[in-house]
Amino acid sequence: MAKYVEVPVGPQHPALHEPIMLRVKLDGEVVEGVDIVTGYNHRGVEKLGEKNSWVRDIYIFSRICGICNAVHAQTYTQGVEKLMGVEPPPRAKYIRTIVMELERIHSHMLINAVMAEAIGFDTLFMLIMRDRERVMHLKEIITGQRVHADIHIIGGVKRDLKPETAEKVLRVLDYIEARLKHYKKVFEEDYTIRKRLEDVGKISKQEALKHSLVGPVLRASGVPSDVRVDDPYSAYDELKPNIVVRHEGDSLARMLLRWDEALESVRLIRAAIKNMPKGNPVPKAIKRAAGKGEVFSRVEAPRGELIYHIVSTGGPKPYRIKVRTPSFNNIVNSGFAYIGERLADVPVILTSFDPCISCTERVLVVDEKKGLRKWVPFMALSRGEIRVA
Amino acid sequence: MTELPSFLSRWGAEEVGPHRLVIRVEKDKLRDAVKDLVSADEMIYLSTMSAVDYPERGVIELNYFFWSVTEKKGIIIKVEVPRDKPEIDTITDILPGANNAELEAHDLFGVVFKGNKSLRRGFLLPPEIVEAGIYPLRKDAKGV
Amino acid sequence: MREVISNIFSRPATIQYPREPAAVSSEYRGLHYPDLNKCIGCSLCMVDCPANAIKMVKLPPDYTNPKNPRGIYPVVDYGKCVFCYQCVFVCPVKAYITSNKFDMADYVTHNSQALSLKTIRKGDKG
Repeated sequence: MAKYVEVPVGPQHPALHEPIMLRVKLDGEVVEGVDIVTGYNHRGVEKLGEKNSWVRDIYIFSRICGICNAVHAQTYTQGVEKLMGVEPPPRAKYIRTIVMELERIHSHMLINAVMAEAIGFDTLFMLIMRDRERVMHLKEIITGQRVHADIHIIGGVKRDLKPETAEKVLRVLDYIEARLKHYKKVFEEDYTIRKRLEDVGKISKQEALKHSLVGPVLRASGVPSDVRVDDPYSAYDELKPNIVVRHEGDSLARMLLRWDEALESVRLIRAAIKNMPKGNPVPKAIKRAAGKGEVFSRVEAPRGELIYHIVSTGGPKPYRIKVRTPSFNNIVNSGFAYIGERLADVPVILTSFDPCISCTERVLVVDEKKGLRKWVPFMALSRGEIRVA
Repeated sequence: MTELPSFLSRWGAEEVGPHRLVIRVEKDKLRDAVKDLVSADEMIYLSTMSAVDYPERGVIELNYFFWSVTEKKGIIIKVEVPRDKPEIDTITDILPGANNAELEAHDLFGVVFKGNKSLRRGFLLPPEIVEAGIYPLRKDAKGV
Repeated sequence: MREVISNIFSRPATIQYPREPAAVSSEYRGLHYPDLNKCIGCSLCMVDCPANAIKMVKLPPDYTNPKNPRGIYPVVDYGKCVFCYQCVFVCPVKAYITSNKFDMADYVTHNSQALSLKTIRKGDKG
């Protein structure tokens, strides 16, 4: 009868607790096209940033996203430091790195937990979230709050890392590492998880590059692209992270890649604490005015490449700050990945992209299989006037 | 390997910092430049496109930021479009990943990308701002 | 998976908050207020506050501080405050007293005025 059925998934709860809507066009059970509708959450952060001073903006931009707040602050401050000609002390760079890597671990744990919930494995969700709380606690004892780090300041960090805190971090990391390895094993071996994730939402290397997908999605399709290695910032030029690459390109590869990256982060934090240089990471005075210029600042957020374009015409306020978050590319441009899959797999694929709507923060996009398929009126179909090939 | 170096010298790239190169092109030449870039290096993706409004010069500057995975270089293509008639050809047929960036620039700055079929207002802004005809990130925008 | 299931029977990982106090580390960025014996009324914290939560108000008439010629001090509105501690960091005389107190949800709005005024009396005695 009906050739196409349109099913709205969301905006509330398409397996994820964030406002996004997928308008799924179905032929039977098979997805024929997806319109990704967001824009429920536009907050005008870029305009707000233009109206506030350089220092205030650190906190404004770190509040774009709760999960990846430290990387937002890092991208912003490293860009502004370049414009102002300030070089943070080496110890500050290491502390920033530790905070950012902790953030990567808990972000990857969160999305894997959400994936477990999306496929109906609630026990695993609870277990991962319980262990994630340990990581959050580490963030709390280093920075002062379990979510918002707010440790970045122009020219350094706001708090020094105490030796006893560092010891505690190392102690908890031993536990976390064992748990991460265990969860990775679960994802690798569990029959149900494999059945739901394997070969679902496959993305080839060329497609990923063409559609500007970034981060774990790009790396799971076999492209070795990681800002930490390619365009090193903070202490990454000395710590030398390894790029994790997988070649399958399906949902399972994306999730397993996140576990591998979390394990790599554990290694990086250990190395950072071990090689931490001495000195005072807290700046005495903050510079408040920047010279003329513009800078593209890139950081590898847990979800992929985060990029800020900061334009300054001199003075106490930025002229323009463009924020491009990884989710903005990964969610909006990924409509093609759903085509040909089953309806039940749509939440799985969406979750495997690790959507963060407060990062996307805007956007409604139509991504039909352009030019290849024409949408015909339902009435015309039912009358048999048009046949769909 | 890639033919990126020859592309860069062909279009007069100028180094502005570590891993950053700037190419300035006329707005009619943008498509040619992007086509040339994509054929020169297959491991390249469009990272973002950022629009900046300069009312005193009467232009909106579009910064296309490409990242070359193998050469580890960020290539910024700068194009200027006049403020009173901000029109430019789309590159979504060459790189579909440009879609979100073009839609964003259209909604926030009012730049028209000729040939992009999904272009429309209100794709990220709430309806009341769209109905008032405001482009909120332009410097002279009122009421936002 | 069996080991994980046996894990569950160990003991609850979550603590019911109102019955037992939540474990908050001493590093936690909680309630903070300016010490009026130290404050010099420079207003830097007000300038830098990203949430506009800080207002400068006049000192009480019966109290004067020679270090504070303008006679003003900051009041933090905890309803607006995002606890970024920029004010604590930027203060040139380190006048802010910090704590790890977090339970501020209430029916009435809180600000730091009463706490700050308390510091005067302490200063007078000592």
